[in-house]
Amino acid sequence: MSEPLLKLTEATIQFGGLIAVNKVSFEIERGQLFGLIGPNGAGKTTCFNLITGVYKPTAGSILFEGKPIGGTPANKIAYKGICRTFQNIRLFGSLSALENVVVGGFLRNRSSLGSALAYFPKAISETERLKGQALELLELVDLRDVANVRSADLAYGMQRRLEIARALATKPKLLLLDEPAAGMNPQEKVELLQMVKTIREQLGVTVLLIEHDMKFVMGLCERIVVLDHGEEIAQGPPEEIRNNPKVISAYLGEAV
Amino acid sequence: MKSPAKFWLTRIVSVVLAIVGAFAAQGAIDGMKNSFVALLFVLAGLYVTLAVSLNLINGITGQFSMGHAAFYMIGAYTAALITKLAWKSQMNPMAWVLLMIVAGAITAALAGLLVGIPSLRLRGDYLAVVTLGFGEIVKIIAKNQEVLGKAYGMNNPLKYQSIFLVVLLAILCIAVCRNLLKTAHGLSFLAVREDEIASAAMGVNLTKVKVSAFVLGSAFAGAAGALYSHGLAFVSPESFSMDMSFLIVTMVVLGGTGSITGTSIAAIVLFLIPEKLRDLSNVKMGMIVGIGIALIITVALIKRAQDHYHKSSPPKAVVVIGLTIAGIMLAAGLGAGLANIPGLAAEVAGSKLRTVLLAVTLVVLMLLRPQGIFGHHEFSWSWVQKVLGKKNVPNVEVAA
Repeated sequence: MSEPLLKLTEATIQFGGLIAVNKVSFEIERGQLFGLIGPNGAGKTTCFNLITGVYKPTAGSILFEGKPIGGTPANKIAYKGICRTFQNIRLFGSLSALENVVVGGFLRNRSSLGSALAYFPKAISETERLKGQALELLELVDLRDVANVRSADLAYGMQRRLEIARALATKPKLLLLDEPAAGMNPQEKVELLQMVKTIREQLGVTVLLIEHDMKFVMGLCERIVVLDHGEEIAQGPPEEIRNNPKVISAYLGEAV
Repeated sequence: MKSPAKFWLTRIVSVVLAIVGAFAAQGAIDGMKNSFVALLFVLAGLYVTLAVSLNLINGITGQFSMGHAAFYMIGAYTAALITKLAWKSQMNPMAWVLLMIVAGAITAALAGLLVGIPSLRLRGDYLAVVTLGFGEIVKIIAKNQEVLGKAYGMNNPLKYQSIFLVVLLAILCIAVCRNLLKTAHGLSFLAVREDEIASAAMGVNLTKVKVSAFVLGSAFAGAAGALYSHGLAFVSPESFSMDMSFLIVTMVVLGGTGSITGTSIAAIVLFLIPEKLRDLSNVKMGMIVGIGIALIITVALIKRAQDHYHKSSPPKAVVVIGLTIAGIMLAAGLGAGLANIPGLAAEVAGSKLRTVLLAVTLVVLMLLRPQGIFGHHEFSWSWVQKVLGKKNVPNVEVAA
C-alpha cells in the first residue's frame, strides 16, 4: 500500500494537568473521506489544531506526506497543503465573499510586495488570476451570486460554504472540515453532503471532517475514528463503528 | 488587464500629473505671499502623510499603534543632525533635502522594525501601550542627549520650506496605500486585521504582514519628519508630544479606519479646525448655553432617527440634513433669547472656546458616526449615490 497522506503516531498534547489528546494514532489514505467523531470535549478540535499548527504536540509525531509537521507554524502548514475550516465561523467579516476566497489563494501568489506597492503589471495580473480562481470556487459552492456581498452579511449556511471555498483556494491536498453541517437544516445538510462529494471528485482533495450528525458522517465517510476523553476508542468503517459497543456506550447511546 | 503600452502611458501621465499638481500648489501658495498660510499648508500636508501612513498600520493592518509622532520625530531629528554635521552651503539644497527625506525614512523604518517585532506577540490594548511607551522613550532620549540639544532642541541649518515636496510626499503615500489595497497583497493585510488565526490558517505570513506595515508606515512618517525639520529649521522634543500621536490616531478613527480618502480629509479638517478657531470672536454666555442645548437635542434626535430607521422613511441623508438645519435654527433662536437674560450676558473670549469646540466636534461625530466619516469606504461617486439612497448602483465590477 502506498504511503498515507497523513499519519498520526501516538500524538499527544497536554495543557498542564489536562491531557487533551492522548496517544491518538490514525492514518489517512489519499482521496479518503475520513471522519473524526466523539462526544463534546473529546479532543476533536484540539486534534485539528495539532494538525494545522495551532498547537505543538507534546509527544508523538504527525507525518504529512512522510515528513514531520508537528510544531510547524500554521501558515507554513497551509502552504504544504493542509487547510481547514473553523467550528465557530472565522471569515474576514468586512471583506466580500470574493475577497475572502482571494485571501485563501494568496499563499500561492507569485508577485512581490514591492510590485504591489508600485502597482506593477505583475501584481495586477496575479490579483486578477486569484480573482478568477476565486470566482470558480464560488461557483463550485454555489455562491457566485453573492461574490460582492460582505461576508458578515451572508446567511449562516452560506458562510459555512464560503469557509470551504476559502480553504479550497489554498489548493490543499488535505481539507479539514470542523463541523461543517453544524446549524444547518436537513435540506442544507443533504446539499452539503453532495457538495463535499463533488469537491473530492473534482479537485481530488482528501477530506478529514469532524461532525456530530451521525447520519451525515455515516453517509459520507469511508473510515471513522472515535475519540473520547482525548483517547481513541475505536477506528474502522462506518458499519463497524455503528455496532461497536464501546462507541455506543460512550457516544451514540443507542444504535443509529 | 490593459495592454502594456497603455498601462505604462497611464502610469507616466499620472506621475507627471502629480508633479504638475505639486508645482501648481507651490505656485498658488507662493502667489499669496503669506508665510503663515504657507506654513499651515505645509503642516496640513505633512499631517495627511502622517495620518495616511498610520492608517496603513492601524486601519488596514489593524495594529493599534499610538506612537506615530515618535517616527515623525526620528525623521526630523535625523535630518537636523545629519544636516548639522555634513551640510555645506555650496551644495544644492533641493538635492540635500531629498537625500534627508530618504535618510529620515530609513532611520524611522528601522525604528518601525524595532516596534514591529514585539507587535507579533501583542494585541490590541497591549500593543497600544507599548507603542505609547516607545513614543515617550524616543522623546526622553532626545531630551537627554547633548548632541540632540537636550530639552531645547536643535536648529536645522538648512531652512527649506517646500510645498512641492510636501504635496508630492502626501501623493506618494496615498498612492502606495491605494495600490496596496487594489492588489491581493492588500487583502492579506486586511485579513490580518479581520482575524489573525484565520489568516494564518490560510497561509498568510503574519510576521511579514505586520512588520511590513510598521516599516512602511514609519518610513513615511520619517520622511514627513525630514520635511518638517527643514521646513521649520528647528526641532524640539516638545513638538512631538503624546498629544500629537493622539491627534493622528483621531484623524484615522474619525476619517474611518481603513479609508484612505476619509483619513486624508480628516487630517486636513482636524488640523485646520483648531487653527481657524484662533480668530473666533467673543461670544455671549447665553449664546453658548443656547447652542449647547440645541446641539444636545439635535444629536439626540438624529441618533433616534438612525436607530429607528425604516425602509419607508425618507433617505437617511435627507433626515440628517433636515434635522441639522432645524438644529441650527433652534440654536440661533435659543442663543439669541438666552443672551438677553442678564445673568447670561457676560462675554467669553473666543480663543478659550477653541479646544472645547474641537472636543465637542469629536464627541458628536463619535456619537453619530462611530465608524468614522467614511467608515470602511473610499470616496467615489457610486458610494455617494448609494448614500443618497439610490440602491441600484452596480457593485464593484468583477473580473470575469
